[in-house]
Amino acid sequence: MLAVKELLGSKLKFGLIALAIGLVVSLTFIMASMSEGLITGMTGAKGNLDADALVFQGDTYLALERSRLTAADLETIASADGVADSYGVGQAMVSVDSADEPFDARAFGLGGNFEQLPVVEGVGIPGPDEAVLDVTAKVNGVELGDTLHLTPIDEDLTVVGFTEDRRYIMTPAIYVDLPTWERIFVATAIGRMDESGQEGAPDVDRITEQVAGSASIAAVKLAEDTTIEELADELAPAFDVVTPAEAALAGNGMSVMILAVNGIQVVSLVIGALVIGVFFYITTLHKTGQIAAVKALGASSGFVYRQLLLQITILVAIASVLGIALTLATGASMPPAMAFDPQPGRWATSLAAIFAMAYLGSLFSLRSILAIDPATALDRAEH
Amino acid sequence: MSLLEVKEVSRSYGSGHTQVVALDSVSFDLEKGRLLAVLGPSGSGKTTLLSIIAGLLEPTSGEIRIDGSPIHLRTPREAAAFRRAHVGLVFQEYHLVPYLSAAENLLLVPHLDGRVAKADRERATKLLAEFGLEKRARHTPSMLSGGERQRVAIARALMNDPEIMLVDEPTSHLDTERGRQVVDLLRDHIRGRDMTCVMVTHDPRMAEQADEVLRLVDGRIAPV
Repeated sequence: MLAVKELLGSKLKFGLIALAIGLVVSLTFIMASMSEGLITGMTGAKGNLDADALVFQGDTYLALERSRLTAADLETIASADGVADSYGVGQAMVSVDSADEPFDARAFGLGGNFEQLPVVEGVGIPGPDEAVLDVTAKVNGVELGDTLHLTPIDEDLTVVGFTEDRRYIMTPAIYVDLPTWERIFVATAIGRMDESGQEGAPDVDRITEQVAGSASIAAVKLAEDTTIEELADELAPAFDVVTPAEAALAGNGMSVMILAVNGIQVVSLVIGALVIGVFFYITTLHKTGQIAAVKALGASSGFVYRQLLLQITILVAIASVLGIALTLATGASMPPAMAFDPQPGRWATSLAAIFAMAYLGSLFSLRSILAIDPATALDRAEH
Repeated sequence: MSLLEVKEVSRSYGSGHTQVVALDSVSFDLEKGRLLAVLGPSGSGKTTLLSIIAGLLEPTSGEIRIDGSPIHLRTPREAAAFRRAHVGLVFQEYHLVPYLSAAENLLLVPHLDGRVAKADRERATKLLAEFGLEKRARHTPSMLSGGERQRVAIARALMNDPEIMLVDEPTSHLDTERGRQVVDLLRDHIRGRDMTCVMVTHDPRMAEQADEVLRLVDGRIAPV
């Protein structure tokens, strides 16, 4: 009764506190969403591959850019015990100069399983010389039906669809079929050396022959009762086997970046907890006389503290709703290319942490409540 | 048998050269149904005595018994439970909860015990009516006059039907006439309920309305 009545009796004061806490919650959620957006932007195309396991060339330390699997390697992986299905995934760095703004991109060749791409616009399965792009490419002026000119390799692709959450190293992914990718990869590998007619220029035919049927990595679906560790043991040491999530966090300085991102989130949570704790501490200090009187009437410190916890729960719950609304509004106003990826799971974790930190912060107030002498409710000035 | 027994109660603060003796070997008994006025100037130890009887302060030495039960040996938690069940407290500053209505301030007492029954609501309504506050039941303290606040505070102290009422300067914020009315009201309720009351006051005119008067000077009992 007391806790709720006090909230209702001081709507302006507690409304402002809820708003302030809401801003803290929003800040935490925005940090979490931007962190997640950063991670998705860096690894989405790799981490979101539809597979139980990704197989890399051994000793390449899970670097998509270094890993090379020949046609024979892909066959070895496909026929390994416990592999129910597999497809090759090729990756190549390209530049696009036909859009409003030239931009870097990553070409991903999939040897099937295009159904995994969430379709935002157009279709999700490209034919030869066609491409499905991550929707962030639209920021650069790319539209459905456009012809992309890849430079300096001088390849043209027709845009037939857009997908989402498929970026790599903050550049949009361009999905093509594996034969198209092979052509792009070979062109990327030899660059303009072939055109220059220099002595010692690479033998394009030989390279094309070597690349035929190859990929950067293999995406694998495991058979029932097969563990990823069993497959890793079977394919070692020629190949490294990890989950897509593990692969996403490997290479390109991801471990350092995630450490920094998590550090930012922890700091924002700690600051949030301190702010919330200080708010309620000040509130407690402002009603020392009232608490002393209630204790003098026979209330225990536990009773008073329970009222405080109830107030914290109600206010943080209201603040969370405000914070979520603010965060969603902020997210909606951001450009698509902005690293912002709201993840309910991460928000739930942040929310649980905010509640936990708020209760932890309330210990400041508990200390104060325990110290309030009920005898002060009676006038002791005469001492 | 005395309801309240105070034996050789002393209380001092600090030590050595800075020691202040607030109460010095105070002893008295109070029969059931009697109103005792503790009279004395500021700094005489009146409120310290009241705090010790309420179990809010521990005496440095001596014994306090209410209906034979030793208050001075209770832990703070036991003393709080005892106050909830047997003691009615009226503060000089009223200490009404500002965001609760008059009726809710009365219901705070059973709420501290974890339950507010229908009988409690009926009792609160009855008490407010007895104190002429039935039309003020929904008003918060800021909407009440000083005299009305004091009456709500006294009604709150009666909510648990206490054996003993401890009242601190009930008229300090009221003019003489209103102060006299409040003490009359207090006395009538005490007698009507056969309960015992210790009222601290610095005003001799209010003390005249009590059954007994105890005068404190510098922490010691002095002739009235």
